Amino acid sequence: MQTIISPVATRYATALHELAFEKGQLEAVAKDVAVVKAQVDQGALAELFDPRSNQGQRQSALSGLIAKLGPLTGNFVRLLSDKRRLEVLRELPAAFHRNQLAAARTVEGVAQSARPLGAAELNQLSASLGRVLNKQVVLENQIQPDLVGGVRVLVDNRLLDQSATGRLEALRSLLMNARLD
Amino acid sequence: MELKPAEVTSVLKKQIEGYQGDAKLQSVGTVLSVGDGVARVFGLDDCMMNELLEFAGGVRGVALNLEDDNVGCVLLGDATKVKEGDMVKTSGRIISVPTGPALLGRVVNALGDPLDGKGPLNVTTSDYLPIERPAPNVVEREPVKEPLQTGIKAIDAMIPIGRGQRELIIGDRQTGKTALLIDTIINQKTTGGGNPANPAQVLCVYVAMGQKQSTVVDLVKRLEKAGAMPFTIVVSASATDEASMQYLAAYTGVTMAERFRDEGRHVVIMYDDLYKQALAYRQVMLLLRRPPGREAFPGDVFNLHSRLLERAAKLSRDAHKLNPRYKAGGGSITALPVVETQEGDVSAYIPTNVISITDGQIFLESNLFNSGVRPAVNVGISVSRVGGSAQIGAMKKVAGGLRINLAQYRELQAFAQFGSDLDKATQSALTRGEKLVEILKQGQYAPVTVEDQILIIYAGTSGALDDLPAKKIADFERQFLAAMRDLHPQVAKAIGETKNFSDADKAIADKVIQTVKKQLG
Repeated sequence: MQTIISPVATRYATALHELAFEKGQLEAVAKDVAVVKAQVDQGALAELFDPRSNQGQRQSALSGLIAKLGPLTGNFVRLLSDKRRLEVLRELPAAFHRNQLAAARTVEGVAQSARPLGAAELNQLSASLGRVLNKQVVLENQIQPDLVGGVRVLVDNRLLDQSATGRLEALRSLLMNARLD
Repeated sequence: MELKPAEVTSVLKKQIEGYQGDAKLQSVGTVLSVGDGVARVFGLDDCMMNELLEFAGGVRGVALNLEDDNVGCVLLGDATKVKEGDMVKTSGRIISVPTGPALLGRVVNALGDPLDGKGPLNVTTSDYLPIERPAPNVVEREPVKEPLQTGIKAIDAMIPIGRGQRELIIGDRQTGKTALLIDTIINQKTTGGGNPANPAQVLCVYVAMGQKQSTVVDLVKRLEKAGAMPFTIVVSASATDEASMQYLAAYTGVTMAERFRDEGRHVVIMYDDLYKQALAYRQVMLLLRRPPGREAFPGDVFNLHSRLLERAAKLSRDAHKLNPRYKAGGGSITALPVVETQEGDVSAYIPTNVISITDGQIFLESNLFNSGVRPAVNVGISVSRVGGSAQIGAMKKVAGGLRINLAQYRELQAFAQFGSDLDKATQSALTRGEKLVEILKQGQYAPVTVEDQILIIYAGTSGALDDLPAKKIADFERQFLAAMRDLHPQVAKAIGETKNFSDADKAIADKVIQTVKKQLG
């Protein structure tokens, strides 16, 4: 299932993605976004988000970040700072990634199963799901022993429940609602 | 219902057989927030307006707001079972309720689930109909022309209701609005002997919205006692139910009524009351953050009632040839919405809205009620805009005199205290009016047939009762009608068949009036 990204972050990320595409700098910007992600994950940008940090600390953290980025992404970060939207940086990697996926007509999903799925099985599953959704489907395998058997796929806000537990549950509700007439 | 194990097995076999190949992609979402019976859900691509949603724990909901990044929905059940982060599934169907003859005699909630402990409804999936459906269009309709007898003298004589009409019943609390509805239901027993299978029987749907549960129980007991329950459906969304259920109940009721109308039957539907329904709607819409308008009601509160009442209609005889939705033409839904006013203020927002939608209104007044005029109908300001053409000829004739006499009485009433100082004409108008007001009084749960109504109103308007003390009018009515029934049953029969009150019959009535007056002294 898709994670929730704020509409603001989505708008900024879309603008950055479109601009990078028009300028033919998609790869460079994608690299920059990966840098931002690494910095956020490492906690290197804590001073930027901390309300207690003073102007000087913030400025140095900001210039430290911009120094690591290309000119386009650098401008983007400066704009965020001017608009007091630096919070967007936290969600930027996920939002940008979603834009990349959309541009490639690809969706990511999770295939839950009781035992590990082989690469061939996963490929077959994504190929048939891709035909239904008319998109490229990239599936990640998750092990969930309580499914007992079968597979449960969550992709693009859609659920395909073919696990033993899910099917038994569906059968149970069907029988409970059966009309005896 | 008796079930043999073998039958159960065969049903289960069918169910299991039909279960195969059920590998479809379901649209899912995540609960972002829950509270006050409203949930916001993220995801749910392709969700439809008014679609039924399934939450964890078997709770159901209805999608009402489809927004950019979330879906706002109302919960139709125990909201405490729904948690943030729960998965929500779409059901692929618009909210729908069971309809059909299996519901007659039953008490159900806003989703059509039985509340009366009489076991599950005997319906199939094809009996389920969506609760929001378009009203019949212009060519499928016909002007109102058949009478709907309420059994209440004041209404049938002066504010006649026709089948397919929308007549508002408006008044303060404790003025007899619900009592009037109960009497109307009980009186429908005369149309088809109380047998729902008889095509002449007028069926009744009573929708209780935001009412006390004790009131609903009382009503059901009363209807059962009067033998009126077999042709009645009670839809109850009482004050304790979720606001969403209270607002949906009206549409549930009219959907059940439409099923019968579309099969060529006549139905009366009563909404008790639309003011409380509007309050419930306001609550839900404010929680869904729709912008508030006047008195904080959402902007579409007028449409809420107009699209509901527009579904009451008289279908033309050929409706089924124009639209395959109708199985037979000629059916009707008569709507009797109730609106409760505060301190007699009919110019408040909801009352004026509903007055402008309906084809007339019956005003019930608390000072009339308290001074002993019951039913407390203010005949001066109550109107029926289309019912006149549905009145039978005999009634039209006698009621004309009644209306003029009462209008004169109201005009002169202020002078009544001058007593003997008044001229002869004024005095006689006052005594006549006093007697007529007395005649229009009626006990509860005692509807009067239209023939009896014509006879007693004739007695009053002919002036024969002017010299009878007002206290004796009730006794006179009882004895006079009994005498007519026992000694001259052919008169009532003639009125019923010819719809006319002939001079010969009038002469018989005059004779009986004199004899009964003599007996009373």
